[in-house]
Amino acid sequence: MEFLIGITGKDFVLTASDTSAARSITVMKSNEDKSCDLNKHNIMLYAGEAGDTVNFAEYIQRNVRLYGIRNGIELTPKAAATFTRKELATSLRSRHPYQVFLLIAGYDITTSSPHLYWIDYLGSSAEVPFAAHGYGAYYCLSILDRYHHPNLTLDEAKGLIKKCIDELNNRFIVNLSDFKIKVTDQDGIREITI
Amino acid sequence: MARRYDSRTTIFSPEGRLYQVEYAMEAISHAGTALGILASDGIVIAAEKKVTSKLLEQTTTSEKIYLLNDNVICGVAGITADANYLINYSRQIAQNYLYTYGEDIPVEQLVQRLCDLKQGYTQYGGLRPFGVSFIYAGHDSHYGFQLYHSDPSGNYGGWKATCIGANNASAQSLLKQDYKDEITLKEARELAAKVLSKTMDSTTLSSEKLEFATLSLNDEGKVSYHLYKPDEIDALLKDFDLGGAQDTPTTS
Amino acid sequence: MSILEYNGAAIVAMMGKNCVAIAADKRLGVQLMTVSTNFQKIFPATEKCYIGLAGLATDVQTLTERFRLKINMYKLREEREIEPRTLSHLVSTTLYEKRFSPYFVEPVIAGLDKNNQPFICGMDLIGCRDVPRDFVVSGTASESLLGMCESLWEPDLEPEDLFETISQTVLNAVDRDCLSGWGAVVHVITPERVITRNLKARMD
Repeated sequence: MEFLIGITGKDFVLTASDTSAARSITVMKSNEDKSCDLNKHNIMLYAGEAGDTVNFAEYIQRNVRLYGIRNGIELTPKAAATFTRKELATSLRSRHPYQVFLLIAGYDITTSSPHLYWIDYLGSSAEVPFAAHGYGAYYCLSILDRYHHPNLTLDEAKGLIKKCIDELNNRFIVNLSDFKIKVTDQDGIREITI
Repeated sequence: MARRYDSRTTIFSPEGRLYQVEYAMEAISHAGTALGILASDGIVIAAEKKVTSKLLEQTTTSEKIYLLNDNVICGVAGITADANYLINYSRQIAQNYLYTYGEDIPVEQLVQRLCDLKQGYTQYGGLRPFGVSFIYAGHDSHYGFQLYHSDPSGNYGGWKATCIGANNASAQSLLKQDYKDEITLKEARELAAKVLSKTMDSTTLSSEKLEFATLSLNDEGKVSYHLYKPDEIDALLKDFDLGGAQDTPTTS
Repeated sequence: MSILEYNGAAIVAMMGKNCVAIAADKRLGVQLMTVSTNFQKIFPATEKCYIGLAGLATDVQTLTERFRLKINMYKLREEREIEPRTLSHLVSTTLYEKRFSPYFVEPVIAGLDKNNQPFICGMDLIGCRDVPRDFVVSGTASESLLGMCESLWEPDLEPEDLFETISQTVLNAVDRDCLSGWGAVVHVITPERVITRNLKARMD
């Protein structure tokens, strides 16, 4: 019942995730942050099997940070996404595969461009202008298809995310009370409210 | 007495030196010269081929300059067999990086990985160090064009222009004299040919004794590697009035 | 549902007169939900040879990257480009290495060899090669592709005619398949150059 969404705009990526940590039919926590900063300009949103998500996210985060320390330069969004995809693809054919769904959003400072990667637990990855994971995707992708364009401003993107959340509140049977919304751009990652 | 500290690489002499490593560097200073010059719009690498025999078949397209990855080339001075091994090693490193991250390896990281291996052979017992120095020319999106040099001890450094192999000291001072910042690739090519013509033993330069390569960006902003063919080298040398005459006077 | 049909694909290669063509759709889906309409399934192996991979997207990507590594190392070591026929054996053995837990892909290879002789090759997921002299298909739309090929293809097509034939084949085949389509890409490989064109298709 988790929900992740990402939208690229002109020079930023806007991401949002729901904040409920549920087990079976019970909500255990309602202010969970389902994202982690890989480095200054890359953020990863995660959902899926309870224990796997945080473990896998931390593993990736620390490897990306280690790369930064060792080499004095940071991984680009593409490099981080390729590395993460490879880890999941390797895990898929192991004894206990990770069941994690990811969105990797980043701003490439070498080319000054925003990027968003959709990755599933099998290790399929695609660079996309917008993406969503979870049941929410069924409601939101059509809205994004209709209203998204490459030169989206931050205000337009905020409006678009709001449209998606309103739709979920309207149609989706599960109540996703709150969302953590973050912007990734030239200046790094920051949380915003809409 | 000195023999006691010669036989193994892992032992310091009382003066705090590693003889085997120094001998390896000595071996390199007898090898054919290779030099690299960093220009604002590219890099040139030039190398001297020691012609052993006219009867020898050319097996590879080049014997002193190699492509390591789409964005990195290198010039070699030292034992060819050792170089071949290290070149294959660095190609694998570069390809594994591409496999893991989907991008070309940053130049310094490739140099660093190779130097890690070289360093190992100065410390772990029973083996001799690699008898090769490299000049690396590369490009990446982080720092643009870069020129590096590495030696058998595993040291490496970035340069604007540098030289390895025979007569490297005099070549180095020539480079120091004539190098200027904002040098263009065209001027760098001329400087490379000029320096080699002064440091090489032979009086006239020709494609038989020279290898020449450049790294630059093409119209699409992609790195392009150009290994000069023999006639291109001769044409270049003629342009600079440094020889390149195919019709060498017959002696017999 | 077979795992080969999880993401959806349509790939076809055709032989022409001194040329070959290879085409694929662009959809990446998770069963019936479309995730991307710009997913690359055909990759250049050399200047005159392309590989198309249909099947499970994660394996398509993993194999693309493995083949890129192997082809690059081959090129650096041999100081020449790999031949299409050689490449087909390399692909075949790579797949057979995983005989008992296979990569779920069915590759298609199309290219011109050093004498500019056309070569096309199809394969199953454990690397059993099929080298026909007309056309080869792969992916969830393979049945409808086969039907289109049977009716449109003829021997000795010139590059532009081959382009028209393969384009019509792929566009009409994906219209009868729910899991592929959403745009297509066609490469026609001739001795002089490779003509790459992106086709617009129905987006539903």
